[in-house]
Amino acid sequence: MAVTEKTPQLSDERLVELSLDGDEGAFGILVRRYQRRLTAFLGQLVGDMELARELSQEAFIRAWSALERFNPKYRFSTWLFRIAHNLGIDQLRRRRLLTTPLYRTDSEGDEVEVVVPDLDKDPLGHLENRILASELREVIDSLRPEYRELVLLRHFGGLSYQDIADFTEMPLGTVKNKLFRAHSVLRKALTDFL
Amino acid sequence: MIRGEALVATDCQTIQEMLAENGGGLERLDGAESRHLEVCPDCREVAAAEMALGLLFAKAIPPADPVVEKRVLAALRPVQIRRRIVAFLPVAASLLVALVGAVMVGGVPGSGILGLLPKFSTQGWMAFGTSVSDWSAAVATGARAAAATLDPAFLVGAGLVSIFGLVWVALTALRWRRVSLWRDDQ
Repeated sequence: MAVTEKTPQLSDERLVELSLDGDEGAFGILVRRYQRRLTAFLGQLVGDMELARELSQEAFIRAWSALERFNPKYRFSTWLFRIAHNLGIDQLRRRRLLTTPLYRTDSEGDEVEVVVPDLDKDPLGHLENRILASELREVIDSLRPEYRELVLLRHFGGLSYQDIADFTEMPLGTVKNKLFRAHSVLRKALTDFL
Repeated sequence: MIRGEALVATDCQTIQEMLAENGGGLERLDGAESRHLEVCPDCREVAAAEMALGLLFAKAIPPADPVVEKRVLAALRPVQIRRRIVAFLPVAASLLVALVGAVMVGGVPGSGILGLLPKFSTQGWMAFGTSVSDWSAAVATGARAAAATLDPAFLVGAGLVSIFGLVWVALTALRWRRVSLWRDDQ
């Protein structure tokens, strides 16, 4: 029996070390530790929960395959989310090439994209409060891309401000400032739910 | 206490940034910041809103999907086997190159191997020794023929490849050691 089976409270660093020694149980703990947040992060990034699950599997397998190249100067979570982020971005680029959006004309004569909500695929589809889910989705989508990424890393990825600074290669002060501004937007837009 | 309008404004920005970072939590506020919060309704409102925002996002995280974990764990073993094979390839290759190199300079005796076997050799040992002896004799003959016919520059190249292989082995060993060094650094 692997030593990790009874000690799920071990640090990420120790679990990586055990994984490098071939302890699959240790890596299993890391999978359990980050699966929800990684899937949530990817779900918001690609906008499709089913795809997010597949991508999170892929991210874990890539992390396991490349574990020897993991630079212990960084935190495991930062590294894992970088792998997932790259996978998500690749997927978005590919999808942009493959899909043709449908448009309809609104009452003012402008063309607007037709969005067909699919609750099974919706990253917030598990929320019982549908109004909240819809509002949250709308607010997150409306954020400026630079704010949106930071909000996803912080609130869906659960990364600390320092981890986000490492991830985005931004100064810590900039991360603080941008997240503060993003929070101001979120607080205003979600007043009814706060 | 708060001494002026400008100071209040500055403090509000700093405190609200801290509140945003800590999900509305007040634990990291020092004495002056806590006093500011007591008299500043705006910051108190932000603290409450940040706390509610944190709870809202916590609800937005989907539940764990056991299928993901199952699939990931099932995929680990084949990757690990492949990784081990790849890790040992340079070792095997460099050992082979080193052996060929040693034979080329006459360092491996062909039939002399039998003499190195333990005295209580059984039939199995004898058969094993004979096959090793035959194999090494064949390699030795081939290597001698190569040494006689090949360009010296080629032989120097082969020597360099052999050295490169051994360095590769050393680096492979160091890569495994890196993890324990990292642990000591913590």
